[in-house]
Amino acid sequence: MLAVALAAVAALFFAQGVARLRRRGRADLAGWDRVALFAVGLVVPVVALVGPMDRLADTHLAVHMLQHVLIGDLTPALLTVAVRGPLLVFLLPAPLLAPLARSTRVRAFLSTLLRPRVAFALWAANLAVWHVPYLYDLVLRRDVVHYLEHACWVVAGLLVWTLLVDPGGHRRLTVGGRVALAAAMFACGQVLADVLIFSFQTLYPAYPGRTDQQLAGVVMMAEQLVTLGALAFVLLRPRMRGARLVAA
Amino acid sequence: MSPTDFSWEPAYIVLAVVTAGAYAWAARADRPNGWRIAAFAAGAFLVAAPLNSPLETIAAKRLLLVHLLQNALIADIAPLLVLLGLTPAMKTWVARHGGSRIRARWAIVAWLAAWYGTHLAGFYNWALDTGWALNIEHGLLIAGGLLFWWPLVSGRLSAPAALAYLGAAFVASSFLGLAFIFSSHPFYPFYEHAPRLWGFSPTRDQNLGGIAMNGEQTLVFLVAIGYYVSRLLSEESTTAPV
Repeated sequence: MLAVALAAVAALFFAQGVARLRRRGRADLAGWDRVALFAVGLVVPVVALVGPMDRLADTHLAVHMLQHVLIGDLTPALLTVAVRGPLLVFLLPAPLLAPLARSTRVRAFLSTLLRPRVAFALWAANLAVWHVPYLYDLVLRRDVVHYLEHACWVVAGLLVWTLLVDPGGHRRLTVGGRVALAAAMFACGQVLADVLIFSFQTLYPAYPGRTDQQLAGVVMMAEQLVTLGALAFVLLRPRMRGARLVAA
Repeated sequence: MSPTDFSWEPAYIVLAVVTAGAYAWAARADRPNGWRIAAFAAGAFLVAAPLNSPLETIAAKRLLLVHLLQNALIADIAPLLVLLGLTPAMKTWVARHGGSRIRARWAIVAWLAAWYGTHLAGFYNWALDTGWALNIEHGLLIAGGLLFWWPLVSGRLSAPAALAYLGAAFVASSFLGLAFIFSSHPFYPFYEHAPRLWGFSPTRDQNLGGIAMNGEQTLVFLVAIGYYVSRLLSEESTTAPV
């Protein structure tokens, strides 16, 4: 239920941001496409964490992996794309945003977290740590650890996807840098996926099926291919056109 | 036949020797540097050696795993190394003699057709049963590999286009390896009845073959993608305003 509550709070913040922008006559910056993207970005984690998928995740590693990639990859991707531009600033009401924006500590902390190397290292460490068999087992036995794990996925995902999508237009990375980050994330994910796909032993005692484990690797690989592949395509497409024009 | 006995596909020794001769002849006018010579030599070696050694005996008589590894070597790595060994003048010569007509979109289709087509059960079994038809299988894989890598090595693709090309190829080619990995029964009757080696059952042999194939492709493609990402970054740094 925590997921539903958090999604409801996020929806409220988003709704007030959209309403404020529209009141200022900038409906063009908060169109229905953004609303739809944000809504899907909230529905995805709720579906992943509440209901049948969550129950299946206790018995199927592939479903548990699907849960992780949905909340740690697809959700941050959809949310960051939905709020890009001025809408990002309008997400928090002024009384909340102003003190945060004035606080040098908060700004320094966020600025450090959003350094490309820091964000990528945290994302990669998160990926590696939560797949250690001992922790994976612990997560299934202790709810608190399970919540912590899911929170880590969301935070790590939001950090890297903020760099990849650049919703605030901060240009922390060039287009090439964003493609490089996506490639590095794919390479890391591929290592884990290959370990799961290629292994003849089951790695997690709670999930004894080898095919299930291999499927989990495929789920990881396929989801990354879709999200990171789509991003790379969107980023590179104008360059490909440009290269064609230069060649012509 | 013992697994350590040599088997031969002499056509590929001849091919490697003739190609090396042509390379040496072309190198008189346009001397390649050391690493180009090494790349070309390694590529020619990888065409000839896997097909003329005990590897061929095991591949053609015992284990699918080794056959798939052999195919991955001659289809992915050897053609790339051979093409990397060419000097700019050699590439210009190839481009003038048909290379410039090779479009990336058709090259990838041809490569995939060779990759999947040669691994269809009917063709694979026929090649193994006849023996001589293995030459056709390997020829198709080498030709497919040369076609696939040419648009990249010839430098006709920009870094973004090359990344898209490699990404598409990586995704499209990975299904074959995954099919081998996830299979629960052997695809090729030839290997089902072949004498076993190293204690692998036919299904385990096939699963391992898929792992070898997928692992090799992942490595090759990630290295190639990494190269073009670094090129994209260096292009940006040279065009960025000071």
